Amino acid sequence: MKKKGDMATMLNSSGYIFRETINSMKRNPWLSLASVVTVMVSLVILGYSIFFLANAANMAKSFESELEIGAFVQIEYTPEEVQDLKSQIEQMPGVESVTLVTKEQALEDFGKTLGGSQGNIVSDVGGTNPFPDKLTVKATDPQNVKALASSLESNPGLYKVRYGQDFVDQLLKFTQWLRWIGFGVVAAFGVAAVVLISINVKMNVFSRRREIQIMKLVGASNSFIRWPFLIEGLALGLVGGTFAAVIVGLGYNWITVYVQSTLTFLPVVQNEVLFRQVSMGLLLGGMVMGALGSLFSLQKFLRA
Amino acid sequence: MIQLTNVSKIYPNGARALVDVNLKIGKGNFVFLVGPSGAGKSTLIKLLYREETPTRGQVQINSKNLVRMKDREVPYLRRNIGVIFQDFKLLPNKTVFENVGFALEVIGVAKREVRNRTLATLELVGLKAKETAYPHELSGGEQQRVCVARAVINNPALLVADEPTGNLDPDTAWDIMELLYDINKRGTTIVMATHARAIVNKMQKRVIAIENGRVARDEEKGGYGYDA
Ligand SMILES: Nc1ncnc2c1ncn2[C@@H]1O[C@H](COP(=O)(O)OP(=O)(O)OP(=O)(O)O)[C@@H](O)[C@H]1O
Ligand SMILES: [Mg+2]
Repeated sequence: MKKKGDMATMLNSSGYIFRETINSMKRNPWLSLASVVTVMVSLVILGYSIFFLANAANMAKSFESELEIGAFVQIEYTPEEVQDLKSQIEQMPGVESVTLVTKEQALEDFGKTLGGSQGNIVSDVGGTNPFPDKLTVKATDPQNVKALASSLESNPGLYKVRYGQDFVDQLLKFTQWLRWIGFGVVAAFGVAAVVLISINVKMNVFSRRREIQIMKLVGASNSFIRWPFLIEGLALGLVGGTFAAVIVGLGYNWITVYVQSTLTFLPVVQNEVLFRQVSMGLLLGGMVMGALGSLFSLQKFLRA
Repeated sequence: MIQLTNVSKIYPNGARALVDVNLKIGKGNFVFLVGPSGAGKSTLIKLLYREETPTRGQVQINSKNLVRMKDREVPYLRRNIGVIFQDFKLLPNKTVFENVGFALEVIGVAKREVRNRTLATLELVGLKAKETAYPHELSGGEQQRVCVARAVINNPALLVADEPTGNLDPDTAWDIMELLYDINKRGTTIVMATHARAIVNKMQKRVIAIENGRVARDEEKGGYGYDA
Protein backbone atom coordinates (compact mmCIF):
# COMPACT_ATOMS: atom_id res chain seq x y z
CA MET A 1 0.00 0.00 0.00
CA LYS A 2 2.83 2.33 0.85
CA LYS A 3 4.52 1.37 -2.40
CA LYS A 4 1.49 2.39 -4.40
CA GLY A 5 1.32 5.66 -2.52
CA ASP A 6 4.92 6.35 -3.41
CA MET A 7 4.22 5.78 -7.07
CA ALA A 8 1.42 8.30 -7.04
CA THR A 9 3.69 10.63 -5.13
CA MET A 10 6.35 10.32 -7.79
CA LEU A 11 3.88 11.05 -10.56
CA ASN A 12 2.49 14.11 -8.85
CA SER A 13 5.99 15.28 -8.11
CA SER A 14 7.74 14.82 -11.43
CA GLY A 15 7.44 18.54 -12.15
CA TYR A 16 8.94 19.39 -8.80
CA ILE A 17 11.80 16.97 -9.25
CA PHE A 18 12.57 18.20 -12.76
CA ARG A 19 12.60 21.83 -11.62
CA GLU A 20 14.90 21.07 -8.71
CA THR A 21 17.29 19.16 -10.94
CA ILE A 22 17.63 22.09 -13.33
CA ASN A 23 17.99 24.54 -10.46
CA SER A 24 20.70 22.59 -8.78
CA MET A 25 22.71 22.30 -11.98
CA LYS A 26 22.47 26.05 -12.42
CA ARG A 27 23.67 26.54 -8.88
CA ASN A 28 27.20 25.18 -9.51
CA PRO A 29 27.78 25.55 -13.22
CA TRP A 30 31.57 25.14 -13.08
CA LEU A 31 31.48 22.13 -10.88
CA SER A 32 28.82 20.65 -13.12
CA LEU A 33 31.02 21.29 -16.12
CA ALA A 34 34.02 19.69 -14.42
CA SER A 35 31.93 16.64 -13.55
CA VAL A 36 30.66 16.32 -17.11
CA VAL A 37 34.14 16.70 -18.56
CA THR A 38 35.74 14.07 -16.33
CA VAL A 39 32.96 11.62 -17.06
CA MET A 40 33.47 12.36 -20.72
CA VAL A 41 37.26 11.96 -20.67
CA SER A 42 37.11 8.64 -18.86
CA LEU A 43 34.50 7.32 -21.26
CA VAL A 44 36.28 8.62 -24.37
CA ILE A 45 39.38 6.74 -23.31
CA LEU A 46 37.29 3.70 -22.56
CA GLY A 47 35.56 3.90 -25.94
CA TYR A 48 38.77 4.21 -27.94
CA SER A 49 40.42 1.45 -25.93
CA ILE A 50 37.53 -0.85 -26.75
CA PHE A 51 37.77 -0.06 -30.44
CA PHE A 52 41.51 -0.44 -30.40
CA LEU A 53 41.28 -3.80 -28.68
CA ALA A 54 38.59 -4.94 -31.07
CA ASN A 55 40.86 -4.06 -33.96
CA ALA A 56 43.84 -5.75 -32.39
CA ALA A 57 41.82 -8.90 -31.82
CA ASN A 58 40.54 -8.74 -35.37
CA MET A 59 44.05 -8.32 -36.69
CA ALA A 60 45.38 -11.15 -34.60
CA LYS A 61 42.65 -13.39 -35.92
CA SER A 62 43.28 -12.56 -39.55
CA PHE A 63 46.97 -13.30 -39.10
CA GLU A 64 46.36 -16.39 -37.09
CA SER A 65 44.22 -17.86 -39.81
CA GLU A 66 47.00 -17.73 -42.31
CA LEU A 67 49.32 -20.65 -42.85
CA GLU A 68 51.86 -18.48 -44.51
CA ILE A 69 55.39 -17.79 -43.49
CA GLY A 70 57.20 -14.81 -44.87
CA ALA A 71 60.88 -15.59 -45.50
CA PHE A 72 63.08 -12.64 -46.47
CA VAL A 73 66.03 -13.42 -48.71
CA GLN A 74 69.47 -11.94 -48.03
CA ILE A 75 69.56 -8.66 -49.91
CA GLU A 76 72.75 -9.40 -51.87
CA TYR A 77 71.38 -12.65 -53.42
CA THR A 78 71.14 -12.69 -57.19
CA PRO A 79 67.88 -13.71 -58.88
CA GLU A 80 69.41 -17.10 -59.70
CA GLU A 81 70.38 -17.73 -56.11
CA VAL A 82 66.88 -16.78 -55.10
CA GLN A 83 65.42 -19.30 -57.51
CA ASP A 84 67.71 -22.00 -56.09
CA LEU A 85 66.69 -21.17 -52.59
CA LYS A 86 63.07 -21.30 -53.62
CA SER A 87 63.29 -24.79 -55.07
CA GLN A 88 65.32 -25.93 -52.08
CA ILE A 89 62.57 -24.83 -49.74
CA GLU A 90 59.92 -26.41 -51.92
CA GLN A 91 61.56 -29.74 -51.18
CA MET A 92 61.28 -29.34 -47.43
CA PRO A 93 58.74 -31.54 -45.62
CA GLY A 94 55.49 -29.84 -44.64
CA VAL A 95 55.75 -27.26 -47.36
CA GLU A 96 52.81 -26.99 -49.67
CA SER A 97 53.97 -24.20 -51.94
CA VAL A 98 56.43 -21.38 -52.19
CA THR A 99 55.76 -18.15 -54.06
CA LEU A 100 58.27 -15.49 -54.78
CA VAL A 101 57.56 -11.83 -54.38
CA THR A 102 60.52 -10.06 -55.92
CA LYS A 103 61.80 -6.76 -54.57
CA GLU A 104 60.47 -5.03 -57.68
CA GLN A 105 57.01 -6.45 -57.14
CA ALA A 106 57.10 -5.53 -53.48
CA LEU A 107 57.97 -1.97 -54.35
CA GLU A 108 55.19 -1.80 -56.88
CA ASP A 109 52.66 -3.19 -54.40
CA PHE A 110 53.77 -0.71 -51.83
CA GLY A 111 53.27 2.06 -54.36
CA LYS A 112 49.73 0.82 -54.94
CA THR A 113 48.86 0.72 -51.28
CA LEU A 114 50.02 4.27 -50.94
CA GLY A 115 47.68 5.04 -53.78
CA GLY A 116 48.86 8.54 -54.47
CA SER A 117 51.88 9.41 -56.58
CA GLN A 118 52.13 7.77 -59.99
CA GLY A 119 55.74 8.88 -60.48
CA ASN A 120 58.91 7.15 -59.51
CA ILE A 121 58.42 5.25 -56.31
CA VAL A 122 62.09 4.46 -55.89
CA SER A 123 62.94 8.10 -55.67
CA ASP A 124 59.97 8.63 -53.40
CA VAL A 125 61.34 6.13 -50.90
CA GLY A 126 64.87 7.52 -51.06
CA GLY A 127 66.69 6.33 -54.16
CA THR A 128 67.16 2.61 -53.48
CA ASN A 129 64.60 -0.12 -53.27
CA PRO A 130 64.37 -0.94 -49.59
CA PHE A 131 62.49 -4.19 -50.10
CA PRO A 132 64.12 -7.61 -50.04
CA ASP A 133 62.96 -10.56 -52.08
CA LYS A 134 60.36 -12.42 -50.16
CA LEU A 135 59.40 -16.04 -50.30
CA THR A 136 55.92 -16.78 -49.09
CA VAL A 137 55.95 -20.32 -47.77
CA LYS A 138 52.66 -22.05 -47.34
CA ALA A 139 52.55 -24.87 -44.79
CA THR A 140 50.44 -27.98 -45.30
CA ASP A 141 49.17 -27.88 -41.74
CA PRO A 142 48.84 -25.00 -39.28
CA GLN A 143 50.44 -27.24 -36.65
CA ASN A 144 53.64 -27.29 -38.70
CA VAL A 145 54.01 -23.56 -39.06
CA LYS A 146 56.13 -23.03 -36.00
CA ALA A 147 58.56 -25.91 -36.67
CA LEU A 148 58.83 -24.97 -40.31
CA ALA A 149 59.54 -21.38 -39.40
CA SER A 150 62.35 -22.31 -37.02
CA SER A 151 64.03 -24.56 -39.57
CA LEU A 152 63.77 -21.77 -42.13
CA GLU A 153 65.37 -19.45 -39.61
CA SER A 154 68.53 -21.57 -39.65
CA ASN A 155 68.79 -21.28 -43.43
CA PRO A 156 71.72 -18.94 -44.21
CA GLY A 157 69.97 -17.63 -47.32
CA LEU A 158 67.24 -16.06 -45.27
CA TYR A 159 67.84 -13.16 -42.98
CA LYS A 160 64.41 -12.91 -41.44
CA VAL A 161 61.48 -15.21 -41.03
CA ARG A 162 58.08 -13.90 -40.14
CA TYR A 163 55.01 -15.89 -39.53
CA GLY A 164 51.53 -15.11 -38.27
CA GLN A 165 51.90 -16.63 -34.84
CA ASP A 166 55.00 -14.62 -34.17
CA PHE A 167 53.24 -11.39 -34.93
CA VAL A 168 50.11 -12.50 -33.15
CA ASP A 169 52.09 -13.26 -30.01
CA GLN A 170 53.62 -9.82 -30.01
CA LEU A 171 50.30 -8.20 -30.72
CA LEU A 172 48.64 -10.10 -27.91
CA LYS A 173 51.39 -9.16 -25.52
CA PHE A 174 50.93 -5.55 -26.49
CA THR A 175 47.16 -5.63 -26.19
CA GLN A 176 47.52 -7.22 -22.78
CA TRP A 177 49.59 -4.27 -21.70
CA LEU A 178 47.24 -1.84 -23.32
CA ARG A 179 44.30 -3.48 -21.61
CA TRP A 180 45.84 -2.94 -18.19
CA ILE A 181 46.99 0.58 -18.86
CA GLY A 182 43.68 1.48 -20.46
CA PHE A 183 41.85 -0.08 -17.56
CA GLY A 184 43.99 1.88 -15.09
CA VAL A 185 43.50 5.20 -16.84
CA VAL A 186 39.77 4.66 -17.26
CA ALA A 187 39.45 3.62 -13.63
CA ALA A 188 41.39 6.68 -12.44
CA PHE A 189 39.26 9.06 -14.45
CA GLY A 190 36.15 7.14 -13.51
CA VAL A 191 36.92 7.51 -9.81
CA ALA A 192 37.65 11.21 -10.31
CA ALA A 193 34.35 11.60 -12.11
CA VAL A 194 32.42 9.85 -9.34
CA VAL A 195 34.15 11.97 -6.71
CA LEU A 196 33.39 15.20 -8.59
CA ILE A 197 29.77 14.27 -9.06
CA SER A 198 29.47 13.38 -5.42
CA ILE A 199 31.00 16.73 -4.41
CA ASN A 200 28.59 18.40 -6.78
CA VAL A 201 25.61 16.66 -5.27
CA LYS A 202 26.87 17.23 -1.75
CA MET A 203 27.17 20.95 -2.35
CA ASN A 204 23.63 21.05 -3.59
CA VAL A 205 22.45 19.12 -0.59
CA PHE A 206 24.24 21.67 1.55
CA SER A 207 22.78 24.67 -0.20
CA ARG A 208 19.32 23.17 0.13
CA ARG A 209 19.66 22.01 3.72
CA ARG A 210 16.90 24.31 5.02
CA GLU A 211 14.52 23.02 2.43
CA ILE A 212 15.48 19.44 3.22
CA GLN A 213 14.96 20.07 6.91
CA ILE A 214 11.45 21.33 6.27
CA MET A 215 10.71 18.53 3.84
CA LYS A 216 11.60 16.03 6.52
CA LEU A 217 9.54 17.94 9.04
CA VAL A 218 6.38 17.86 6.97
CA GLY A 219 6.83 14.20 6.14
CA ALA A 220 8.37 14.03 2.69
CA SER A 221 9.64 10.50 2.19
CA ASN A 222 13.38 9.98 1.95
CA SER A 223 13.10 8.74 -1.59
CA PHE A 224 11.24 11.91 -2.54
CA ILE A 225 13.99 14.03 -1.00
CA ARG A 226 16.68 11.97 -2.67
CA TRP A 227 15.25 11.88 -6.18
CA PRO A 228 16.30 15.33 -7.37
CA PHE A 229 19.86 14.69 -6.21
CA LEU A 230 19.96 11.25 -7.72
CA ILE A 231 18.60 12.56 -10.99
CA GLU A 232 21.10 15.38 -10.90
CA GLY A 233 23.96 12.90 -10.64
CA LEU A 234 22.44 10.74 -13.35
CA ALA A 235 21.97 13.74 -15.61
CA LEU A 236 25.57 14.88 -15.16
CA GLY A 237 26.78 11.37 -15.95
CA LEU A 238 24.45 11.02 -18.90
CA VAL A 239 25.52 14.33 -20.42
CA GLY A 240 29.17 13.30 -20.05
CA GLY A 241 28.37 9.90 -21.55
CA THR A 242 26.54 11.45 -24.48
CA PHE A 243 29.44 13.74 -25.32
CA ALA A 244 31.81 10.78 -25.02
CA ALA A 245 29.68 8.64 -27.34
CA VAL A 246 29.56 11.43 -29.93
CA ILE A 247 33.29 12.09 -29.73
CA VAL A 248 34.21 8.41 -29.89
CA GLY A 249 31.72 7.75 -32.68
CA LEU A 250 32.77 10.65 -34.90
CA GLY A 251 36.44 10.17 -34.12
CA TYR A 252 36.41 6.48 -34.91
CA ASN A 253 34.53 7.09 -38.12
CA TRP A 254 37.11 9.64 -39.15
CA ILE A 255 40.01 7.34 -38.27
CA THR A 256 38.45 4.44 -40.19
CA VAL A 257 37.99 6.53 -43.30
CA TYR A 258 41.54 7.82 -43.00
CA VAL A 259 43.10 4.40 -42.44
CA GLN A 260 41.15 2.82 -45.25
CA SER A 261 42.23 5.40 -47.77
CA THR A 262 45.91 5.44 -46.80
CA LEU A 263 46.80 2.10 -45.24
CA THR A 264 44.48 -0.13 -47.17
CA PHE A 265 46.23 -3.31 -46.07
CA LEU A 266 45.19 -2.79 -42.44
CA PRO A 267 41.95 -4.54 -41.63
CA VAL A 268 39.66 -2.10 -39.78
CA VAL A 269 36.70 -3.23 -37.76
CA GLN A 270 33.54 -1.61 -38.96
CA ASN A 271 30.90 -3.38 -37.04
CA GLU A 272 27.54 -1.65 -36.68
CA VAL A 273 26.56 -3.82 -33.75
CA LEU A 274 29.80 -3.16 -31.89
CA PHE A 275 29.39 0.51 -32.67
CA ARG A 276 25.93 0.62 -31.19
CA GLN A 277 26.96 -1.46 -28.19
CA VAL A 278 29.88 0.82 -27.40
CA SER A 279 27.71 3.95 -27.68
CA MET A 280 25.06 2.48 -25.41
CA GLY A 281 27.77 1.28 -23.09
CA LEU A 282 29.23 4.77 -22.81
CA LEU A 283 25.82 6.29 -22.04
CA LEU A 284 25.20 3.61 -19.47
CA GLY A 285 28.70 4.07 -18.04
CA GLY A 286 28.01 7.77 -17.61
CA MET A 287 24.78 7.06 -15.80
CA VAL A 288 26.42 4.52 -13.53
CA MET A 289 29.11 7.05 -12.58
CA GLY A 290 26.42 9.63 -11.92
CA ALA A 291 24.37 7.26 -9.81
CA LEU A 292 27.42 6.17 -7.82
CA GLY A 293 28.42 9.78 -7.23
CA SER A 294 24.96 10.66 -5.94
CA LEU A 295 24.64 7.57 -3.80
CA PHE A 296 27.99 8.19 -2.14
CA SER A 297 26.94 11.66 -1.13
CA LEU A 298 23.41 10.68 -0.16
CA GLN A 299 23.99 7.57 1.89
CA LYS A 300 25.20 9.49 4.91
CA PHE A 301 22.41 11.99 5.31
CA LEU A 302 18.66 11.41 5.17
CA ARG A 303 18.33 8.73 7.72
CA ALA A 304 15.48 9.85 9.94
CA MET B 1 -3.39 9.88 22.24
CA ILE B 2 0.12 10.57 23.52
CA GLN B 3 1.72 8.33 26.09
CA LEU B 4 5.23 8.52 27.52
CA THR B 5 6.29 5.61 29.72
CA ASN B 6 9.42 5.85 31.90
CA VAL B 7 11.08 8.04 29.32
CA SER B 8 14.67 9.14 29.86
CA LYS B 9 16.81 11.02 27.40
CA ILE B 10 20.55 11.31 27.80
CA TYR B 11 22.30 13.12 24.96
CA PRO B 12 25.55 11.66 23.63
CA ASN B 13 27.47 14.38 25.47
CA GLY B 14 26.02 13.10 28.74
CA ALA B 15 23.39 15.80 29.29
CA ARG B 16 20.42 14.27 31.13
CA ALA B 17 17.56 16.12 29.43
CA LEU B 18 14.68 13.93 30.64
CA VAL B 19 14.54 11.56 33.59
CA ASP B 20 11.87 8.91 33.98
CA VAL B 21 8.98 10.89 32.55
CA ASN B 22 5.47 9.44 32.54
CA LEU B 23 2.74 11.34 30.73
CA LYS B 24 -0.63 10.86 29.12
CA ILE B 25 -2.17 13.46 26.86
CA GLY B 26 -5.66 12.86 25.54
CA LYS B 27 -7.07 13.60 22.13
CA GLY B 28 -8.05 17.24 21.69
CA ASN B 29 -6.09 18.40 24.73
CA PHE B 30 -4.32 21.74 24.87
CA VAL B 31 -1.19 21.37 26.99
CA PHE B 32 1.43 23.90 28.04
CA LEU B 33 4.93 22.70 28.86
CA VAL B 34 6.59 25.14 31.24
CA GLY B 35 9.77 25.17 33.26
CA PRO B 36 13.12 26.84 33.55
CA SER B 37 15.58 27.04 30.71
CA GLY B 38 17.35 23.75 30.12
CA ALA B 39 14.61 21.79 31.91
CA GLY B 40 13.96 19.51 28.93
CA LYS B 41 10.88 21.00 27.26
CA SER B 42 12.31 21.12 23.76
CA THR B 43 13.66 17.63 24.19
CA LEU B 44 10.20 16.36 25.08
CA ILE B 45 8.72 18.10 22.02
CA LYS B 46 11.38 16.52 19.81
CA LEU B 47 10.49 13.08 21.09
CA LEU B 48 6.92 13.66 19.93
CA TYR B 49 7.78 14.19 16.26
CA ARG B 50 10.66 11.74 16.49
CA GLU B 51 13.42 14.18 15.91
CA GLU B 52 14.97 12.37 18.86
CA THR B 53 14.39 8.94 20.34
CA PRO B 54 14.52 8.31 24.09
CA THR B 55 17.47 6.57 25.68
CA ARG B 56 15.04 4.54 27.78
CA GLY B 57 11.28 4.14 27.87
CA GLN B 58 8.52 4.24 25.29
CA VAL B 59 6.80 7.01 23.36
CA GLN B 60 3.45 6.24 21.83
CA ILE B 61 1.25 8.39 19.64
CA ASN B 62 -2.11 7.00 18.60
CA SER B 63 -0.85 3.61 19.75
CA LYS B 64 2.10 3.81 17.38
CA ASN B 65 5.38 3.11 19.10
CA LEU B 66 7.85 5.79 18.07
CA VAL B 67 10.83 3.97 19.53
CA ARG B 68 10.33 0.79 17.57
CA MET B 69 9.26 2.69 14.48
CA LYS B 70 11.58 2.24 11.50
CA ASP B 71 13.23 5.30 10.03
CA ARG B 72 11.38 4.93 6.77
CA GLU B 73 8.04 5.07 8.58
CA VAL B 74 8.84 8.42 10.17
CA PRO B 75 7.66 10.52 7.19
CA TYR B 76 4.21 8.98 7.47
CA LEU B 77 4.11 9.76 11.18
CA ARG B 78 5.04 13.36 10.50
CA ARG B 79 2.29 13.85 7.95
CA ASN B 80 -0.02 13.61 10.93
CA ILE B 81 1.95 15.98 13.18
CA GLY B 82 2.33 19.72 12.64
CA VAL B 83 5.40 21.46 14.06
CA ILE B 84 5.83 25.16 14.85
CA PHE B 85 9.06 26.83 15.88
CA GLN B 86 10.17 30.01 17.52
CA ASP B 87 12.19 30.94 14.42
CA PHE B 88 9.45 30.05 11.88
CA LYS B 89 11.78 28.16 9.51
CA LEU B 90 10.29 29.60 6.33
CA LEU B 91 12.02 29.33 2.98
CA PRO B 92 13.15 32.85 2.10
CA ASN B 93 12.98 32.47 -1.67
CA LYS B 94 9.45 31.13 -1.71
CA THR B 95 6.26 33.15 -1.45
CA VAL B 96 3.75 32.71 1.36
CA PHE B 97 1.64 30.56 -0.93
CA GLU B 98 4.61 28.41 -1.94
CA ASN B 99 5.86 28.03 1.63
CA VAL B 100 2.50 26.71 2.77
CA GLY B 101 1.80 24.61 -0.31
CA PHE B 102 5.29 23.12 -0.01
CA ALA B 103 4.10 20.88 2.81
CA LEU B 104 1.62 19.21 0.46
CA GLU B 105 3.72 19.40 -2.67
CA VAL B 106 6.55 17.36 -1.14
CA ILE B 107 4.25 14.59 0.00
CA GLY B 108 2.97 14.21 -3.53
CA VAL B 109 -0.46 15.83 -3.38
CA ALA B 110 -1.83 16.73 -6.81
CA LYS B 111 -1.34 20.31 -7.94
CA ARG B 112 -4.97 21.38 -8.01
CA GLU B 113 -5.55 20.03 -4.53
CA VAL B 114 -2.42 21.78 -3.25
CA ARG B 115 -3.80 25.02 -4.61
CA ASN B 116 -7.26 24.63 -3.10
CA ARG B 117 -6.06 23.55 0.31
CA THR B 118 -3.35 26.20 0.47
CA LEU B 119 -5.86 28.94 -0.25
CA ALA B 120 -8.26 27.55 2.36
CA THR B 121 -5.51 27.35 4.97
CA LEU B 122 -4.29 30.87 4.23
CA GLU B 123 -7.87 31.99 4.72
CA LEU B 124 -7.92 30.21 8.09
CA VAL B 125 -4.80 31.98 9.35
CA GLY B 126 -5.92 35.32 7.87
CA LEU B 127 -3.16 35.68 5.29
CA LYS B 128 -5.05 35.41 2.05
CA ALA B 129 -4.07 38.94 1.06
CA LYS B 130 -0.37 38.17 1.50
CA GLU B 131 -0.36 35.14 -0.75
CA THR B 132 2.35 36.44 -3.08
CA ALA B 133 4.55 38.12 -0.46
CA TYR B 134 7.97 36.78 0.49
CA PRO B 135 8.83 36.06 4.15
CA HIS B 136 11.08 39.13 4.46
CA GLU B 137 8.15 41.31 3.48
CA LEU B 138 6.12 40.08 6.47
CA SER B 139 6.00 41.03 10.15
CA GLY B 140 7.05 38.45 12.72
CA GLY B 141 3.45 37.67 13.56
CA GLU B 142 2.60 37.16 9.91
CA GLN B 143 5.59 34.91 9.44
CA GLN B 144 4.46 32.80 12.37
CA ARG B 145 1.01 32.56 10.80
CA VAL B 146 2.62 31.18 7.67
CA CYS B 147 4.43 28.64 9.81
CA VAL B 148 1.15 27.70 11.52
CA ALA B 149 -0.56 27.39 8.15
CA ARG B 150 2.17 25.07 6.90
CA ALA B 151 1.88 23.01 10.08
CA VAL B 152 -1.88 22.52 9.89
CA ILE B 153 -2.48 22.31 6.14
CA ASN B 154 -2.39 18.53 6.26
CA ASN B 155 -5.00 18.44 9.07
CA PRO B 156 -2.68 16.83 11.61
CA ALA B 157 -4.12 15.18 14.72
CA LEU B 158 -1.32 16.71 16.76
CA LEU B 159 0.29 20.15 16.65
CA VAL B 160 3.49 20.68 18.64
CA ALA B 161 4.90 24.15 19.16
CA ASP B 162 8.22 25.08 20.73
CA GLU B 163 7.94 28.65 22.05
CA PRO B 164 5.85 29.80 19.09
CA THR B 165 5.47 33.27 20.57
CA GLY B 166 9.06 33.58 21.73
CA ASN B 167 9.98 36.09 19.03
CA LEU B 168 6.75 38.06 19.06
CA ASP B 169 5.53 41.13 20.95
CA PRO B 170 2.68 40.46 23.41
CA ASP B 171 -0.16 41.65 21.14
CA THR B 172 1.03 39.60 18.20
CA ALA B 173 1.60 36.68 20.53
CA TRP B 174 -2.04 36.83 21.51
CA ASP B 175 -3.12 36.78 17.87
CA ILE B 176 -1.17 33.58 17.39
CA MET B 177 -2.65 32.09 20.56
CA GLU B 178 -6.15 32.85 19.32
CA LEU B 179 -5.29 31.06 16.12
CA LEU B 180 -3.99 28.03 18.03
CA TYR B 181 -7.09 28.15 20.21
CA ASP B 182 -9.28 27.94 17.10
CA ILE B 183 -7.23 25.09 15.69
CA ASN B 184 -7.54 23.23 18.98
CA LYS B 185 -11.31 23.85 18.91
CA ARG B 186 -11.46 21.99 15.61
CA GLY B 187 -10.10 18.91 17.35
CA THR B 188 -6.34 19.15 16.98
CA THR B 189 -4.33 18.19 20.05
CA ILE B 190 -1.79 20.89 20.89
CA VAL B 191 1.38 20.61 22.96
CA MET B 192 3.16 23.91 23.40
CA ALA B 193 6.40 24.65 25.24
CA THR B 194 6.51 28.25 26.43
CA HIS B 195 7.92 30.83 28.81
CA ALA B 196 4.95 33.17 28.23
CA ARG B 197 3.57 33.50 31.73
CA ALA B 198 0.65 35.76 30.83
CA ILE B 199 -0.56 33.44 28.13
CA VAL B 200 -0.43 30.34 30.32
CA ASN B 201 -2.20 32.08 33.18
CA LYS B 202 -4.92 33.51 30.99
CA MET B 203 -5.68 30.44 28.88
CA GLN B 204 -6.37 28.14 31.84
CA LYS B 205 -5.31 24.95 30.09
CA ARG B 206 -3.48 21.92 31.33
CA VAL B 207 0.03 22.84 32.49
CA ILE B 208 2.90 20.37 32.79
CA ALA B 209 5.96 21.79 34.51
CA ILE B 210 9.33 20.18 33.80
CA GLU B 211 12.28 20.73 36.09
CA ASN B 212 15.66 19.08 35.68
CA GLY B 213 14.14 16.66 33.25
CA ARG B 214 11.36 15.49 35.57
CA VAL B 215 7.66 16.25 35.65
CA ALA B 216 7.42 18.58 38.64
CA ARG B 217 3.76 19.49 38.33
CA ASP B 218 0.82 18.52 36.17
CA GLU B 219 -2.49 20.31 36.61
CA GLU B 220 -5.67 20.83 34.65
CA LYS B 221 -6.51 24.53 34.16
CA GLY B 222 -3.16 25.42 35.67
CA GLY B 223 -1.10 28.58 35.85
CA TYR B 224 2.47 29.36 34.90
CA GLY B 225 3.49 28.95 38.49
CA TYR B 226 6.97 30.48 38.58
CA ASP B 227 7.57 33.86 40.17
CA ALA B 228 8.96 36.51 37.91
N1 LIG C 1 21.29 18.21 20.88
C1 LIG C 1 21.71 18.24 22.16
N2 LIG C 1 22.88 17.67 22.50
C2 LIG C 1 23.30 17.69 23.74
N3 LIG C 1 22.64 18.21 24.75
C3 LIG C 1 21.47 18.80 24.50
C4 LIG C 1 20.94 18.83 23.19
N4 LIG C 1 19.75 19.47 23.22
C5 LIG C 1 19.56 19.80 24.49
N5 LIG C 1 20.57 19.42 25.27
C6 LIG C 1 20.68 19.55 26.71
O1 LIG C 1 19.55 18.95 27.29
C7 LIG C 1 19.02 19.73 28.34
C8 LIG C 1 17.56 20.09 28.05
O2 LIG C 1 17.54 20.95 26.92
P1 LIG C 1 16.19 21.48 26.29
O3 LIG C 1 16.55 22.17 25.04
O4 LIG C 1 15.24 20.34 26.19
O5 LIG C 1 15.68 22.50 27.37
P2 LIG C 1 14.44 23.50 27.30
O6 LIG C 1 13.59 23.17 28.46
O7 LIG C 1 13.85 23.50 25.98
O8 LIG C 1 15.17 24.89 27.54
P3 LIG C 1 14.72 26.36 27.00
O9 LIG C 1 13.59 26.78 27.82
O10 LIG C 1 15.94 27.18 27.23
O11 LIG C 1 14.41 26.17 25.56
C9 LIG C 1 19.93 20.94 28.46
O12 LIG C 1 20.86 20.67 29.49
C10 LIG C 1 20.64 21.01 27.13
O13 LIG C 1 21.92 21.53 27.28
MG1 LIG D 1 13.68 24.84 24.37
